[in-house]
Amino acid sequence: MSGIKARWELILFPPLVLTMVLLVASQFIFIRGSFHKDLGYGDLSTTYELVNYLRAFSDPYYLNVLLLSINVSATATVLTMICAVPVAYIIARMTSRWAMLLLALVVVAQFVTIAIKVLGLIVLFSPDGIVNRLFLALGLIDETFTILGTFPGVITGLMYYSLGFAVLLIYSVILTIPRSLEEAAQIHGAGRFNVYRRIILPLAAPGTVVCSLMVFNISIGGFASTALIGAGKILTLPVIVQRSVVVNYNYGMGAALAVILLVSVILINLFSVAIIQRFRRGKGMTI
Amino acid sequence: MILAAVYIFLFAPIVIVIATSFDYGDRAYVIFPPERFTFDAYLNIPEYITNGIYLSVGVGLATALGASLIGIPASLGIVRSDIPGKSVIMTLFRIPLQIPGVVMGLAFLQAYYAIGAATGWYANGTYMGLVIAHIFAATPFVIGAVVPVLQRFQPTLEEAAQTLGASRITTFRRITLPLIAPGVFAGSLYAFMISFGDVPIAIFLSKPGTSTFPVEVFFALEQEFDTTILAASTLVVVFSLMVLLIIQRFSGLDVFVRTR
Repeated sequence: MSGIKARWELILFPPLVLTMVLLVASQFIFIRGSFHKDLGYGDLSTTYELVNYLRAFSDPYYLNVLLLSINVSATATVLTMICAVPVAYIIARMTSRWAMLLLALVVVAQFVTIAIKVLGLIVLFSPDGIVNRLFLALGLIDETFTILGTFPGVITGLMYYSLGFAVLLIYSVILTIPRSLEEAAQIHGAGRFNVYRRIILPLAAPGTVVCSLMVFNISIGGFASTALIGAGKILTLPVIVQRSVVVNYNYGMGAALAVILLVSVILINLFSVAIIQRFRRGKGMTI
Repeated sequence: MILAAVYIFLFAPIVIVIATSFDYGDRAYVIFPPERFTFDAYLNIPEYITNGIYLSVGVGLATALGASLIGIPASLGIVRSDIPGKSVIMTLFRIPLQIPGVVMGLAFLQAYYAIGAATGWYANGTYMGLVIAHIFAATPFVIGAVVPVLQRFQPTLEEAAQTLGASRITTFRRITLPLIAPGVFAGSLYAFMISFGDVPIAIFLSKPGTSTFPVEVFFALEQEFDTTILAASTLVVVFSLMVLLIIQRFSGLDVFVRTR
């Protein structure tokens, strides 16, 4: 049977080579492009220079965009996790068959394209929409409000990218914590709160942290919802990447901004892998 | 309870889209609660929107096929070969997961321009160009779905078949394939959904005038939109639901509940 293993290696090569070719072909050219200066109207200079990156980190406009992106994504991450963790815990500890249905619902919600969800949000919060009418009728507000161009609107939009993933991920994390541990703690007199604090939290922590980092990554890269709800007033990194290229034809600057986004995401991912490694070595637990 | 609140939050936009799709009339804006209940919107969906849906389905199917053609051999190779550095190879295959959609779209756009300038074949704005980019983005999902199924698979079953006289191809066809089918099926449908719902990559790579459905919705929202988009979106939601039901029936939804 020894020749068979070699056959599997052969089968691995074409996909691997193809993927590598696609990876290099797509990423190399744009990364190289980021080192060229925009000459206007889509032209790029032929020399390599760092001018785009220098501008990105010194021009207040771009710095503002960077800070705003981090701000908005971090807030969205916190809110998403606050919603996801309790829900995931409840479903994970459910004994009835409703758990399956609830999980399926999460998957359904996640799979509808973000464009439709944003459409729904905009209709929901439109001046004649249900929320405005309700609040006006209840006397909570004096005049209609809109979510377009507002921070809460953008942050809410970002939550729709990753709430589903977060619930599913935390769900599988909680499943790894044996219920018997909680029960044992309760038998020994721990109240609900202490059970959470001293059993669940430490054991779920690494998975939760990794999940948060993943949610942050998804949020900081989120384009469609921010572009639509931000309505040109709230500009995050993905939005100005698209604008630089499609509206301004600044391929060099757009590429540089995209590289910055990419590198940030990769660094965060490496960081989260390091967390897993460290935790695995430290406690000998699997996540 | 918090459960109800979160689920209402999660589904409110989708429910609103479905609900308001039945209120089609002369008004240029959308109101809720709706004034009437009619299917007229569904009958009046303009051609550019239905073309968008067809394009999305076409791109999605091609993506699912391509991603499976690359992902299935890759998974087999990863799980069954003795090659050193498997985790490195696994990581290499999973790199597209790390690249944000805008970056992916931009990268392929510029790559296609450069390749076009060099060879005369401009892939940006073409169907194949978009499909290739989507395949690159979706293959890790296929691998992520098939590898666990393969890992659970017991090679002794194959060995038994071969001891009983089956050739390698027959073994693959009658033992291996049926057992890994659920994973393959779920993975390729996952790839389809990723492609179908994508906005950023398609926005960079679509030809102006012919966009995929999510991009149509995006453009519609940037301007005053024709309220038939709500009807089209409802159809798409129903369609997505059906795809998920099919996955559930054949493979279960485990493929989505997995640690990354």
